[in-house]
Amino acid sequence: MGAVTEPMLDIQNLSVVFGAGRMRVDAVKNVSFHVEPGASFGLVGESGSGKSTVLRAICGLAPISDGRVMVNGQLVKSPRDITFYRTAQMVFQDPYASLHPRHTVDRTLSEPLAIHGEKNAEARILEALREVGLGPSFRFRYPHQLSGGQRQRIAIARSLILRPKILLLDEPTSALDASVQAEVLNLLDDLRIRLGLTYVLVSHDLAVVAHLCDRLLVMRQGEAVEETTALALRSGKASNEYTRALIQASQGFARDGVQPALL
Amino acid sequence: MTQPLLEVEDLRVRFHLRTGIVEAVRGVSFHLGRERLGIVGESGSGKSQTGRAILGLTPPPGEVTAKRLTFDGIDLLKASKRTLRTLRGGRISMVMQDPKYSLNPVMTIGEQIIEAYQAHRKASHAEARDKTLHMLEAVKMRDPSRVFSLYPHEVSGGMGQRAMIAMMLVTDPDMLIADEPTSALDVTVQMEVLRILDELVSERGMGLIFISHDLKLVSSFCDRVLVMYAGHVVEELEARNLRDAKHAYTQGLMNCLPKLNNDVRPLPTLNRDPAWAL
Repeated sequence: MGAVTEPMLDIQNLSVVFGAGRMRVDAVKNVSFHVEPGASFGLVGESGSGKSTVLRAICGLAPISDGRVMVNGQLVKSPRDITFYRTAQMVFQDPYASLHPRHTVDRTLSEPLAIHGEKNAEARILEALREVGLGPSFRFRYPHQLSGGQRQRIAIARSLILRPKILLLDEPTSALDASVQAEVLNLLDDLRIRLGLTYVLVSHDLAVVAHLCDRLLVMRQGEAVEETTALALRSGKASNEYTRALIQASQGFARDGVQPALL
Repeated sequence: MTQPLLEVEDLRVRFHLRTGIVEAVRGVSFHLGRERLGIVGESGSGKSQTGRAILGLTPPPGEVTAKRLTFDGIDLLKASKRTLRTLRGGRISMVMQDPKYSLNPVMTIGEQIIEAYQAHRKASHAEARDKTLHMLEAVKMRDPSRVFSLYPHEVSGGMGQRAMIAMMLVTDPDMLIADEPTSALDVTVQMEVLRILDELVSERGMGLIFISHDLKLVSSFCDRVLVMYAGHVVEELEARNLRDAKHAYTQGLMNCLPKLNNDVRPLPTLNRDPAWAL
């Protein structure tokens, strides 16, 4: 391979199995990929493809049944120890569900600091809010006093407050309106460059993944279909038939096989 | 064109709340023939409330007013509850976003469709059953008789949505209101469902109102598009001319989508002009 730097995230032959016997479900089958420090990697697929399960297996929300997961050069322990969560943090799909409805923004953001015994909480919270483009006036609001985009910004602030190296993003914009999605995507892009973060982004939207990621893995029914680059995706150079079908479907509805005009 | 199927003039939906009056739909006017009309907008733009108001499904304490709201000559605002009941599900149907919440979880799919049919057409159980199986076949179920006896939790999202469409179309309605019918589905399944809708619309000559937040999808699927913002229509245009949209909101909405070909960084964001909401 001749990689100069050691990958930030290295996944070899990962399998995730739920249940046993008749109820056995192979959610992820033998998936391998690696992500360089500061890079952004995409996982694309339809529901049930196992893309979210890969993320959940990395951060300990799903079992690693086989294979290995190395984060920052170290094999992850099960259960994950506290230093792991300083390295990797996750942002979930639905900001309406991932923030505690009865905790203020301040409490939401101070919790990770308290768990990790961080000092100087006040300044860190204000800085975290500034980083995601929200002013100090948002500090004592409850989630129901925020719009969807603002909530997702708070969820991103919470994941960044411990200064992790890797951000695991599970459909971070699919619950948001198109105009808000643009704002959040720009924020993520900007933060990655500014803070030197490594991203793993899960999405069903090819255009979103191509926008944010350089390399990506297409998954289907738990298996890796192909690893490709955003560049290849843009030029329509997908070798796999399934990837081509995804590209075509993302361009809009085609009546009688006529390709829709591109917007 | 002959007389339009649906005429809407100055439709308003108001909610009287403790905190004041919220006007969700503020003077929407349009007419629908036997065509595919798309209504696009972001959350809170009033697109779903428009669809609901047409069917008289505005939740309390909502109040609906309009200068004119007629379906095939029938005034929907003055019509009796009985008339409305025969129209709803009979001549006008509505497909909702998520089959998980709109199908009855304790009835088999087949029985639900039969129930819908018998509520509107005089038919024996056997006739209704034949019609149901036929309809399940029309929405491209691979094994209609098997799906007939399944419960909603036993089918996938795409199959559930097709079952919903089968149920809504079994009475041969003249008009179908589809509120985000494919948003909960995977892209490839989405295309399949759209193809079925498209076929049914062109074969039966139905009028279709397709409500969605997805500008790209609507413009490739519909004939005409209404763009809604803050409760009113800011622009109406032919779907194929979407690229020549005049209104800054429509243009902004199109530009802020990441595109596979010719992507820009950072993405242009929407600068909301307060004047749009006036």
